[in-house]
Amino acid sequence: MPRPLISIGLVLVALTLVPIGCIYRARHSVKGQPRIQVVYDMDNQYYYKAQSADDFFADGRSMRTPVDGTVARGDLRAGDPFFRGRVEGDTTFVTEFPVTVDQDLMHRGQERFQIFCAPCHGLSGNGNGVVNIRATALAEGTWTPPSDLVGQSVVDRPVGHIYNTITHGIRNMPSYKNQIDPRDRWAIVAYVRALQLSRNASLADVPADDRAALENLGTR
Amino acid sequence: MTRNDNEFQDGTASGSGTTTTDKFVFPRWTNRLREISAVAALGGLVYAVVLVYGVFSPETSAMGYAPTQPVSYSHALHVGAMGIDCRYCHTSVETTAKANIPPTSTCMNCHSHVRTESPKLELVRKSAETGEPIPWVRVHDLPDFVYFNHAGHIQSGVGCVSCHGRIDRMEVVAQDKPLTMGWCLGCHRNPEPNLRPKEFVTDMTWQPPNGEDPADLGARLMKEHGIAPSTDCATCHR
Ligand code: HEC
Ligand code: HEC
Ligand code: HEC
Ligand code: HEC
Ligand code: HEC
Ligand code: HEC
Repeated sequence: MPRPLISIGLVLVALTLVPIGCIYRARHSVKGQPRIQVVYDMDNQYYYKAQSADDFFADGRSMRTPVDGTVARGDLRAGDPFFRGRVEGDTTFVTEFPVTVDQDLMHRGQERFQIFCAPCHGLSGNGNGVVNIRATALAEGTWTPPSDLVGQSVVDRPVGHIYNTITHGIRNMPSYKNQIDPRDRWAIVAYVRALQLSRNASLADVPADDRAALENLGTR
Repeated sequence: MTRNDNEFQDGTASGSGTTTTDKFVFPRWTNRLREISAVAALGGLVYAVVLVYGVFSPETSAMGYAPTQPVSYSHALHVGAMGIDCRYCHTSVETTAKANIPPTSTCMNCHSHVRTESPKLELVRKSAETGEPIPWVRVHDLPDFVYFNHAGHIQSGVGCVSCHGRIDRMEVVAQDKPLTMGWCLGCHRNPEPNLRPKEFVTDMTWQPPNGEDPADLGARLMKEHGIAPSTDCATCHR
């Protein structure tokens, strides 16, 4: 076979590797282009999806809020103690839980506390969560350290007040009413109370059976 | 030896014959042309198949899709470095089909007090002021004829990491899995290795305690909670 032909053949074979290389690269990198669709089938149908944009409404959103002054079925928030943390028809805060506090509620409260409160207030509630540490390190002067939830001032707050703090925020703390529903807010309040108890407890508060284990910890 | 009229002898040897002609004589290597072209055609066909598969397979075209977002929000910083739970922002993921993208007010919980001057957060502050939503670009997008439900999966103990990869290491969210029907079914037929106790669904690095095989634990959880993913067409196409 003449040499030029062989060379051309080899070059062609070499060139075929280029697309393969491109594909390999595409498979192992991130890219800004959405996937190639030859046939669109019914992939994109014309109906509103959650959080989609549409210019039909003036604000450009497809999701609507309830019309002012209306309440959706099952959404009536009747009951001041449960929904507002206040004595019925009054502005004073409730001091008793309007829900039954049991193990399930505590576990729920612990989980929700760690999701929503721990970033700022810390896992133990002492006010030094990871976000606080980072924000303080930036030293911008705009950050207020979160309160110590196990300190005396919050221990003295009635449960309704803590509930109200979650719902509406307080001073520099934002409101969490859109992220946490009322029952979970009460679960968190219960857990905050548990943290306060555990942080201000003495050995005498530990059940007799477990006391020995704790005392051994000290000597080890 | 007979000679044609238009043949002549000039003493130069060409080809295999003892006579040379002015006609073109195929060189000897062309005898193998048939085999060569057969091999080339076969190779070409295989090559074409590989190429089409390569270009159109979801591993190439869909996985790794990471569009530029309007705000350079980083999961690596907020989730990886600061340890904020997914549900702080994606609040509806446990209870509804869709995992919501957080509203601007969620960002402002913190950013009204930290990085208040950052140019990277310009759009977030503007959005909070005017109420205009931030136009986040969708990353994962199943065809509209497929029904998917986050709540069903989270409540059964399938971790986010099984379907979204290591979000806590991503500066920009990239699609980590092919999201094809084959991929969905792969897990629906064999979910054991992907199941975990429900309280660890958002944990990106969770491993079964005491070095237990994830499949064994998964099998136990399936029995305990009666988990049985369906492969009926109507589960996902309704
Ligand atoms: C973005 C950070 C942040 C998060 C998250 C957060 N807080 Fe706070 N919290 C603060 C700051 C800051 C203060 C102090 C406000 C001030 O003094 O101006 C505070 C104060 C408080 C106080 C004391 C109020 C008082 O009576 O003086 C309570 C109680 C409290 N937070 C509860 C919670 C609970 C419960 C959660 C979880 C649902 C939570 N916080 C989540 C930042 C946060
Ligand atoms: C501080 C808020 C915040 C937290 C915490 C958070 N995310 Fe996100 N997430 C966002 C925002 C904002 C977007 C939209 C912008 C983007 O895609 O980067 C997003 C996008 C995503 C997307 C892509 C959505 C799409 O368009 O397809 C996935 C998947 C996701 N997040 C998963 C997670 C997981 C898993 C976790 C927990 C490990 C998590 N997120 C924690 C705010 C958050
Ligand atoms: C729980 C608190 C918190 C929430 C919620 C939060 N961030 Fe942050 N974010 C921070 C902190 C703290 C920093 C600074 C970290 C550092 O630099 O050490 C930061 C940094 C950033 C930065 C980098 C700023 C810069 O100049 O480098 C961007 C961008 C950002 N956040 C976007 C967002 C967006 C968008 C959201 C809403 C989806 C959001 N953040 C929600 C706490 C939060
Ligand atoms: C069984 C797989 C699976 C699991 C587990 C999963 N996701 Fe998804 N996620 C998907 C798919 C598929 C989509 C695309 C949905 C669509 O296009 O309708 C998606 C989309 C999203 C989106 C974009 C908004 C939406 O709903 O379309 C966010 C945000 C998200 N996931 C967050 C999370 C978080 C946070 C978790 C963990 C708590 C999680 N996902 C667990 C498969 C999963
Ligand atoms: C990593 C494993 C895994 C993957 C991947 C997965 N699934 Fe599932 N899926 C499950 C499990 C587990 C269940 C729960 C079955 C049960 O509750 O019995 C489930 C249930 C479902 C259900 C029923 C939920 C309900 O609320 O009734 C639907 C619909 C579904 N999956 C769709 C999908 C689709 C579509 C995909 C692909 C985009 C997918 N799944 C990918 C594990 C998975
Ligand atoms: C676990 C969920 C699931 C089940 C069960 C399922 N599918 Fe699908 N199907 C999908 C997803 C996800 C896609 C989209 C795949 C893609 O975009 O590449 C799809 C796509 C399809 C398509 C369109 C392919 C195309 O690209 O045009 C057909 C047809 C289809 N499925 C038929 C079926 C039939 C028939 C069954 C029952 C035997 C079935 N599916 C069961 C999840 C499922």
